[in-house]
Amino acid sequence: MTSSSELVRASSFLGAIHEFLKMDIISQLQDQVNTIAALAFNTFGTLQRDAPPGRLSSNYPEPPANPTEETVNIAEQPKLMSSALVKAAKQFDALVNALPLAEGREEAQLKRIAELQAENDAIGQELQRQLEAAEKELKQVQELFSEAADNCLNMKKPD
Amino acid sequence: MAATATYPPPPPYYKLYKNYIENPKSAPEPPPPIQGTYVCFGGNYTTDDVQPSLEEQGVRQLYPKGPNVDFKKELRSLNRELQLHFLELADILVERPSQYARRVEEISLIFKNLHHLLNSLRPHQARATLIHILELQIQRRKQAVEDIKRRREEAQRLLKEALGTLDGH
Repeated sequence: MTSSSELVRASSFLGAIHEFLKMDIISQLQDQVNTIAALAFNTFGTLQRDAPPGRLSSNYPEPPANPTEETVNIAEQPKLMSSALVKAAKQFDALVNALPLAEGREEAQLKRIAELQAENDAIGQELQRQLEAAEKELKQVQELFSEAADNCLNMKKPD
Repeated sequence: MAATATYPPPPPYYKLYKNYIENPKSAPEPPPPIQGTYVCFGGNYTTDDVQPSLEEQGVRQLYPKGPNVDFKKELRSLNRELQLHFLELADILVERPSQYARRVEEISLIFKNLHHLLNSLRPHQARATLIHILELQIQRRKQAVEDIKRRREEAQRLLKEALGTLDGH
């Protein structure tokens, strides 16, 4: 294979990589709410599962504290998980700020839709008129052309 | 109706259309569109698609009612409430673990409110999409009108030129 055909294959491969389309903002918000919920129950569930036993009352002795590798991880986990939770909440706030909720109350939106429909109808009629006129002119030109072609043929005398 | 059998037979109406080719009027008209509620495969459906309010689902509504809800503000304040409730849950798990149920219930209440708010944004989004589509269509039509006008003028010009050329001879 020559290098030029390899370049062609490489460029078509790069062109075929599609960009990931984002969801609309409301779906993103809904997704983010679900993410926060998932992070929350994972956080509480994990911490509760891995927490070392606590002291119930002063009558009972201190539970044995075994400083193993797990206790080191257990100290880190709350920080990591809670920072993930807070990050997700901040992301939610950012998404809320990005909501394009201009002063579009329902009546304003409906009014705009009615205006646009009226404009659409008007321009539709204009388009129809132009189309009909253009088709008429096309027919005229075609008739003239065929007449001219006939005359041409008739004038050409066979030698 | 035989619709509740496991493999229901096709409806027997086809026999009424035996002579449709000869006489289209001998067969019944198609039924008109359904209005109101209807039953489909044993389930009740309604043609009036509106989001049921939270009260109808037995859920307390945390954000103020009224015609114009400030969605952004309410969403943000619900988010803050949620975070505070997480902290409360963590605290109560440390102090009095047996009291977790109330806190968890409140957290799920906030989530339900959040989702309900987001769902009530959907009609607004639908109208906005419609507006966008109409604007695009108007733009395309205007473009088409311009194109046709231009072509017609060009054609007229060419014809006049041709006429001039012919007269010149």
